[in-house]
Order: sequence, then structure tokens, then C-alpha cells
Amino acid sequence: MFSAAASAIPRLRCAAPARYASSRTQWSLLRRRPLSSSPNVTPAAAASGPGPLEPPDLPRLAKSARISLSPQEAEEFAPKIQQVVDWFGQLQAVDLESIEPSLRADTAVGSSLREDKAEPFANRDAIIEALPSYVDPYIKVPRVLNSE
Amino acid sequence: MALTLLRGIRTQALFRANAGLFCSTRLSPPARFTTRVEGVQTTSPKTAPTSIQQAAKEAAEQKMQGFEAVIGIETHVQLSTVTKAFCSCPYDYGSHPNSTVCPTCMGHPGTLPVLNAKVVECAVKVALALNCQISMTSKFDRKQYFYPDLPKGYQISQFDIPIAEKGYIDLDLPVEFGGGHRRFGVTRVHMEEDAGKLLHSESGNYSQVDLNRAGVPLLEIVSEPDMRTGIEAAEYGAEVQRLVRYLGVGNGNMQEGSLRCDVNVSVRPIGQSEFGTKVEIKNMNSFNEISRAIDYEISRQIHLHKESQADQIVQETRLWDEASQKTFTMRKKEGLADYRYFPEPDLAEVVLTSEYVDEIRNSLPELPEAKRRRYENMGLSMQDVIFLANDDNVAHFFDSTLEHGADAKLAANWIMGDMTAYLKDEKLSIHESKLTPLELSEMIASIKNGTISGKIAKEILVELIAKGGTVKSVIEEKDLIQIADPGAIGAMVDKVLADNPKQLEQYRAGKTKLQGYFAGQVMKASKGKASPVLLNKILGEKLKGN
Repeated sequence: MFSAAASAIPRLRCAAPARYASSRTQWSLLRRRPLSSSPNVTPAAAASGPGPLEPPDLPRLAKSARISLSPQEAEEFAPKIQQVVDWFGQLQAVDLESIEPSLRADTAVGSSLREDKAEPFANRDAIIEALPSYVDPYIKVPRVLNSE
Repeated sequence: MALTLLRGIRTQALFRANAGLFCSTRLSPPARFTTRVEGVQTTSPKTAPTSIQQAAKEAAEQKMQGFEAVIGIETHVQLSTVTKAFCSCPYDYGSHPNSTVCPTCMGHPGTLPVLNAKVVECAVKVALALNCQISMTSKFDRKQYFYPDLPKGYQISQFDIPIAEKGYIDLDLPVEFGGGHRRFGVTRVHMEEDAGKLLHSESGNYSQVDLNRAGVPLLEIVSEPDMRTGIEAAEYGAEVQRLVRYLGVGNGNMQEGSLRCDVNVSVRPIGQSEFGTKVEIKNMNSFNEISRAIDYEISRQIHLHKESQADQIVQETRLWDEASQKTFTMRKKEGLADYRYFPEPDLAEVVLTSEYVDEIRNSLPELPEAKRRRYENMGLSMQDVIFLANDDNVAHFFDSTLEHGADAKLAANWIMGDMTAYLKDEKLSIHESKLTPLELSEMIASIKNGTISGKIAKEILVELIAKGGTVKSVIEEKDLIQIADPGAIGAMVDKVLADNPKQLEQYRAGKTKLQGYFAGQVMKASKGKASPVLLNKILGEKLKGN
């Protein structure tokens, strides 16, 4: 049903010739997209080739990830996280000018789809057991009104 | 129902257009948006009076006071696949809470999503039906936020490379709202998964979560901001529903939540190219509510503009309250949500071949728009066209009836009139009718060749729908063949006149209305079988002659 995409590299070119022209601008946007979509990592920094990446706003990141950090921990972790980011930042040294961006990092070739056939999970009891707070038939959670 | 409106007092149309917003008794379009065969009865007028349409149009323009509205709609369609999008759990609406779940859709650590092939097939079907450009490769992304009904803490969706973009949808506005053809753009179509259900308890500081629905596949259809009125928006929603049902990818039921519409509304002075501030409206549970909510919001915004308070219009989400017929502010969010989209690492690209897409394209059924154009070319009125094409089952029945040789207009009248009325009363849908298209065409032919009268046909129609059988056998069984022999009718007329000397005398004296009485008596004597046309002719002659 789905094609086993051609094995030539870059694979995407063979699979999607028709969309090449129109998605070019889309994909150059992708290239300029920073590693995280956090507004603190400016697009300019990522796209301008080699150069330092902006330090992440740790309190903001922690809030987004719902991880509570004390100010002391934040101070302590910030340089360590910066080190990790910088380590990946070595990739900035690569010259990407003439390379088409990948859709995603993928080496798997061939269909990874599943037939639309029902297989009810047999051990529902174990799932219910594992719930921290269950009042039949619902999972009980603290009252949350919006996602902020 | 709406027809009597059009034929009735002209002022009624004006009343509707002007008072539409503020009057909670505003007449809503007939229930064409529901699954059952419902809708207008009786034969349709040849054309809707254009003067009424013109009056309604002028009234609507006046109401807008020099502004135009810009409306866009995001529709979420739940796909009726057997299993969920990324795991093999079955899904049935109304199942006992937390029964159709597994570790994958509950987001347990270590689980991995596996894409359901049927979801891609449905997505391509809808995208082709919406005339979109299909992305031969697309990917999934994680949309991350925390909420109790989102087990993984992210929703698997498609962010920057959706499966389809840049399409359009064609539709016809209902005749009773002025009619007209419209084409609205579709920005994109993408695949994603649904969240579970969150119920807030009345009292107490807790809520309840049911994850049956978590992981159910959705198609998100985003329209271009092309709609300008509430009715255009409602009809767009209805056409999406029609398409979804025609294609068999979902049941498009707003009440059940398998079709959800979020609407964005802004206004701007006519001629201005920049858009005004847009406001999102949620919580509309039917197409009628969509129409009314939008009309209310438009007038609210115009009013603020007129009061020089345009800065009071802020980008926010408002909820429609059906009871008070108003929109209300939801709690304002602080800042824009940061979903931290990144490509879903656990899912491969979705790669399509042109053979695959062509195969699906060739398997598409005749879509509503094509049906409407075909019916229009048969010479049917727009009212008929819209009704017949609304439900695929009705259209199929109609087409089958025509295949057996019936006349299009007559078949349309019978289906839209008596048949629909009966089915509605008995709460049946058209494929539960035991009357087959063949027999309907037989019945129409029998009337045409004079075997039975129209009146008799109406009676046997009900029996045929309920019990089935053939027209021939019912006619024979009940001895319903029309009496068309002038001699036989003449004899019956003579007898009736002889049996009713007093009335005959009154007729001679000038009470000519009694002809109807005599006709009724002859009909009674003939058990309803006398040909009405012939009867009145002979009766008239005899009454004059004597």
C-alpha cells in the first residue's frame, strides 16, 4: 500500500519530487527553526551557522515542563544544561548551505502501519490497579480548570 | 415549513432578517442537518420569489452597518475506524468509562504508538474530496501541554507538514436563506489524536477522567477565513458533515461530539484590507447554534466599533450560551500557549505513492456537489436538489427510482413529500423503508397510465413503506383499480342523483356548491376508485343536462 521509499539518499527527494518547489520555503523555515520552539532561542542564532546558542531560560523551561526548581537549583543547573546545549551546538559547525533539510531523522524504510483490527487489552485490571486514584468508573484527579 | 414562510407574508422575511439576533424565536432552517430523513413537505414552489430574497439581502446589509465579518472555522472530525489511531483498542461511543483502554493510549511509560493504516486512508479520502494538494510525505509532531485528559502530556498531531493543504469546498446555501452557490477555501487537513473526557464534579475539589476517547483518530480541517455570515459558516459545517458521511469516514454527529467546530470571528469596515481582532467561539452544539452564535458575535463587535470601543474587542475565547443566546468570555489566558512542537520520534514519516492516492481517488463516491449539479441539470428546483443530495441514502433511493424509468420531478415529489412525512412520523430512515425504488417507480407509472388515482396512491404508499410488497399485488388485493369507464361512472352518478332528490332540488335552486357533495357521494359509492377527473366531467354534464 505505501511505497518502500527509494533507497537513494536523500530519500525524500525521490519520494516527493512534486512538492520540492513548493515546500522549499517551508523547509528553509524549518532550517531556521531553533532546536526548541522556545522564543528565547532566536531563529537568527540558529541559522547564522557557527556561533553561540542563546542560553535557555531555565525557570521558564522548568515551568513548561512542570518541574519545580528552587532558585538555588536553577542557578546550579543552568551551566550544566548550557554545557549540554553547547555540546549539541557543535553541529552548528556543519555547512548546511547546499544540503536540503530532512523531514525527520529516519532510516527505517517500508511501511510501519497497523491494520485496523481491534485487539482489546486483556489485562485491564492491572491498569486500574496501577492508577493512583480511581473511583469506579473514573480516574480521580485534582480539579484543573485550564491548561495554564 | 420554510415554504409556507416564503409563500406567506413578505414582512415575515424582513422580520427574520432584522430581528434575527435579538429574537430568540428566530426561525431556524429546517432540520436538514440531521441524519434522519426530515425536512420540507408538499410540492415545492417553482422558484423562490426573488423579491423576498432581495428584501432579505438588503435587510442583512443594513444590519451590518458598513462592516463586513470575516469568519474562519476549525473542524475536528472523529474518524469511525475500528481501532484508535495509535493502538489497537476498539472505540465505541457510550462505552463504560475506562473500558476501551490499554497502556499505549493511557500513556504508560515504555509504550510506543503504531499508526493505523485506515487513518491515512480516511485522511486522503477527505483531502481529495476537499480538492486539496496532498503531501506525499508528511510527519507527526508532538504538541505538548499538561491537562488531566491528555495521558502522555502531549498530543500527537501534525504541525508544519500536514497531509493536505490548499483545498476548497463547494456548497449551496439553503433556498430559504437566499440560496446561492459558494466556494470556501480549506487551508489544511491534518491527522491527530483525541484526548479523553474530563468531567468536573459539582461539588468538591476533584474532577473525573474517562480515557476511552484518548487516542481516537481525528482529522482537523482548517478553513480559509472566507465566510461572511453565520449562515455561510453553518452551511460550511453542514457540508463538511455531508462529505464525511458520504465518504463513510465518520458519522459527523455534533451532539455526540464526533464533529466539533470552533469558529473565529472578526469584523472590519468594508473596504479595509486588514483583518480586525479575531475572537474564538466555542461550545456550539448544532449548526443552528453556530449560525446564531456568529451572528450575535458579529453584532456585538459592530456595536463596540460604533461606540468607539473597538479596543474592547480582544483576542480571546468566548463561549456560546444557548440559554441566553449570547457569547461570554472564558477565563482569559495569560500569554500564548507554548506547545514546544517537535517531530514525533516514535513515528515514521507518512509516505504515499501516487498509485495509492489514485486508487483512493478512483474509489470516491459521487460527492454532494456533483450530485447537486447533476440534479440541477435534470431540471429540479434548488429546493429539491438540496434536499435530495443532503443524505446519501435518499439520493441513492432517488437515483434507483429513476433507473427504473420514473420521471425525476414526480419521484422527487413523492420522496420529499409523502414518503419523508411518513418516515419522519415513524422515526425511520429511508433504508428501513420496505418500499423499494422499483415499486415507487411502478406506483408513479400506475398513476400516469390511469390505473390508480393520486389519492389512492397516497394510501398504498404508506402500506408499501411499512410492509413492502408490490404495487400490483396491493392494487389487486384491495381492488383499487381506478374506475375510468364513463358508462360505469355515469350509472353511479345517476343513482346518487336519484337517491338525493332534496339536494338535487337545492342545486337547481342555485346552491351549486353541492356538486362537491354529489362527487363525494359517488366516490363513497365507488369506494374511492372513481377517476376524479372523469367523475367531475360526467357529473357536471349530467347536472347541466337534466
